[in-house]
Amino acid sequence: MSSVEQKDRKFGVKQYIPIAMIGISIAFIWMGFAKYGFWEDMKGPRPGFFPVIISFALLVASLLALVFSFKEKAPSWPLENWLVPLSVVVIMGTTFIIGLLPSVGLYVLVWLRWFEKCAWKTTITVFLIIMGIVIGAFVLWLGVPFPKGLILNLIAN
Amino acid sequence: MKKLALIVIVLIVALVAPLFAQGSAEAASTGFAPSKDIDWIVTSSPGGGSDIYTRIISDIMTRLDVVAGQTFLVANKTDGGGEVGRLQVSRVNAGNLANHTLLTFNSGDLMPMVKNTANRLANFTPIAVMAVDKQLLYIGEYSKYKNFNAVLDAVAAGKQVVIAGSKGDDIATYEKMIGELGVNQNQIAFITNDSTSAAITSILGGHVDLVMSKPAAADQYVVAGKLTPVLALSKARFTGNLASAPTLSEVGDYDDVEVPVWRGVVGPKNMTAEAAAFWSDAFQAVSESNAWKDEYINKYKLVPEFRNYMEAQVYMAEFEADYLKSLGK
Amino acid sequence: MENLQLLLDGFSVLFTLQNIGVTILGAVLGLIVGAMPGIGSLAGVALLLPLTFKFNPTTAIIMLGALYYSNMYGGAFSAILLNIPGDSPAVMTALDGYPMATQRKRPGQALLTSNMASFIGGTIGMIILTFMGPALADIGLKFGPAEMTALLLVAMTSIGWLVGENPTKGLLLTMLGILLASMGMDTLSGSPRYDFGSIYLLGGIPFTPFVIGVVGFAQVIKLMEERNKKTQVSIEKLTIKGSMLTLHDFKRLFFPAVRSGFMGTFVGVLPGAGATTAAFMGYAAQKSFKNEEPLGTGAIEGIAACEAANNGAAAGAFAPLLALGIPGSGTGAVLLGGLMMWGLNPGPLLFTNSPDFAWGLIASLFLANIVTLVIAWGVIPFLIKILSVPTKLMIPIITVVCVVGSYSTSNSMYGVLIMFLSGVMGYVLTKCEYQTAPVLLAFVLAPLLESNMRKAFIISQGSLDIFFQKPISLVFIIILIAIMVFPVVRPLLIRLGLMKRKAS
Repeated sequence: MSSVEQKDRKFGVKQYIPIAMIGISIAFIWMGFAKYGFWEDMKGPRPGFFPVIISFALLVASLLALVFSFKEKAPSWPLENWLVPLSVVVIMGTTFIIGLLPSVGLYVLVWLRWFEKCAWKTTITVFLIIMGIVIGAFVLWLGVPFPKGLILNLIAN
Repeated sequence: MKKLALIVIVLIVALVAPLFAQGSAEAASTGFAPSKDIDWIVTSSPGGGSDIYTRIISDIMTRLDVVAGQTFLVANKTDGGGEVGRLQVSRVNAGNLANHTLLTFNSGDLMPMVKNTANRLANFTPIAVMAVDKQLLYIGEYSKYKNFNAVLDAVAAGKQVVIAGSKGDDIATYEKMIGELGVNQNQIAFITNDSTSAAITSILGGHVDLVMSKPAAADQYVVAGKLTPVLALSKARFTGNLASAPTLSEVGDYDDVEVPVWRGVVGPKNMTAEAAAFWSDAFQAVSESNAWKDEYINKYKLVPEFRNYMEAQVYMAEFEADYLKSLGK
Repeated sequence: MENLQLLLDGFSVLFTLQNIGVTILGAVLGLIVGAMPGIGSLAGVALLLPLTFKFNPTTAIIMLGALYYSNMYGGAFSAILLNIPGDSPAVMTALDGYPMATQRKRPGQALLTSNMASFIGGTIGMIILTFMGPALADIGLKFGPAEMTALLLVAMTSIGWLVGENPTKGLLLTMLGILLASMGMDTLSGSPRYDFGSIYLLGGIPFTPFVIGVVGFAQVIKLMEERNKKTQVSIEKLTIKGSMLTLHDFKRLFFPAVRSGFMGTFVGVLPGAGATTAAFMGYAAQKSFKNEEPLGTGAIEGIAACEAANNGAAAGAFAPLLALGIPGSGTGAVLLGGLMMWGLNPGPLLFTNSPDFAWGLIASLFLANIVTLVIAWGVIPFLIKILSVPTKLMIPIITVVCVVGSYSTSNSMYGVLIMFLSGVMGYVLTKCEYQTAPVLLAFVLAPLLESNMRKAFIISQGSLDIFFQKPISLVFIIILIAIMVFPVVRPLLIRLGLMKRKAS
């Protein structure tokens, strides 16, 4: 994804969506017929029946969407936005090592203090509130067993 | 393109995640008594049959004080229709964790596992079988057929008969039955519902001819006169208000059809023999308690049938072999 | 009026200090859990079930009823304030609730609308339940596979009504939602399909992480663009006084709520249809009525229609649950398990064998409805303060909520992964001007439609006749054809002067 404004009538993400859908529909149609079966006499529809019909409809809709997409304005893709998904990827990664709760805690601190440049007071307040909700409600009350990560598991066992 | 990437990512994570999901190995213990919290995995959602079964047993064990004061941590792992939880348990490394991990395991868990994945009973250590259950066929209040002979006559006359039932063991029972009757899936068709209660709904509304259910789920409808048992899928008749239903050999020149539905418990493959013996004794203590009879067996109308870890091993293995054979695997 | 007498007896069971206490406690806890993204009503009731073990059976059952019921209220809160639906029916609430809270800057009114509508819908449902519960349950039974298929086809087609300006994109996403829902296990044959060899996908894509991602997480990614704006809503409006509904607002919400309440109750009775279908159909029906503002831009009518239907359905679902022992949803099944744990066997014998329990439970629903309404009014002024938090602080907070909530649905990182992937997908789609609601609705409705359709075909041995021979199904098929033909015929009717052009 590029952050540069794309001009109309140029190939971009808005075309990739219908193209990806065309791909999916063809794959689902093929798998539906080949692997799961469409219709059997007397028994009626098989597992592939419904998805195959739907895939045909998706195929038609995607082709139309592709044609129309050239008339649409291309959206902008601010690079900054991708920091949010990126931080979730980092959280997922560190969860396996230090556990989920420390990961989200660290993320809140780092994000607010070093990315948003908030004052320590704001950072700590938000940190305490969010950790209070997560630990108080999800961990203590509802007993959700969050993963502890490799390190803690090593120590605990 | 995006979707392809998505699929690839899902695949990679699906392959890698279980590696991380487990704890680490450590020194094996000698002899066995629980020394830490016990992880008990249930592969169905909270509130379901397996969940109730697990929570009642763990509760009784704590009350009987057979687990050296340790706590049960019951975890519902429902991902992948339960296959993820089963795979995780089967892969627990040898060590203390393996000896403190239990998995609720029923015939209804074994069948989809064997059918749809490469995971097998050999990857687990059977610990106990606690109870069994069997099926019956029922007709509804305003059914076209009054008994099972009438059903067979209708089939012989070229009519289609539709049975509603639930997943897993119901399908296996149905397939065994039509095999014995020598009819095909069009002559007697089967509709798989998500649950027995959904199947009962469709017969109460008169949308199907017969319903397959275990005694407990259908009990109150029988008492209220909304369902009448017409065939016992068992080697002997049931008792009580189900006694009127004949077995298949009484209906005609057939053998009795029975697919026992059992509820058991297993541990990881790497559980030590000492630990398996300890747990087997603990489950035996539960099965002999009054609490178990009152709070589970009588309430859910099951047949108490305890098998210890060695008997359970043989029993479950036989069941798996039979089922694999019926699948042609 | 015998039922009224029995209901009053139910209230007399209810009115002890302890019972009223647990009703309030149940209502508060249910509200909080319902508002938490990822927990939803199914997990909420299951998680809170052990709390009831401390009480005597009647008290426990009353608490369960209150818990279940107030859960339905809570789902709307995070949908309106954060655009993260707490449970699946709230997907519809978010469509108008979030714009009303942020763009129209009336968060208090949005929450109050959802509360009032919930109350109205729930009350209608309970009154119907009281006077014709068993009869209603019998009507529900008439809906077999063929009838349900026809009804769901109508619902599916009307997703198109939601789509608004771009029918192609709406159709595309509806179909995508259906396909995503078809991944995993095929119930009828018990065999896996489109699982791509992953055992995680054997169980399909879990709904809650999916919806948190597509709506909530996608929203956070987009919020990055506005993070230097001070707050989403200016602070001076966020007072109790500034949150009150005007008489005009109340008039706008009342009729949609009443209409949807009846409709929702009826849908709630149908086997397996549930509150989501009800909320959706309530909203879709509202589209064909007069709305002061277009639906989807923060219209009070939109919030009222789906919330009333949702709570009507929650009450309606008690009819088959109590009278027949048939749970209409996963949550119903957990509730049934809880009732059975207390030796109460919902089913044909319930009203004769244990009338105090049954009527006590129904009475507790009435009480819970009122208690929840009052409590919700009390907390709304504090809740809307959430919107005065600067956007740049909200971004990490919502992100954490998304991660924690999606983990909690099945206690696994797979949920977080699904949330992440669907969030990115939702963001890209929204950026390219796709409305993501159809994908979620199709995801919920498609499995119901497919299984009913295939069951119908098994019964009819593959013949289509079954849909035309059954009267109920035939009616829905006629409606369906009318819906499909209408857009084609409408220009013709307008030209002939038989219809007025719709102002848009």
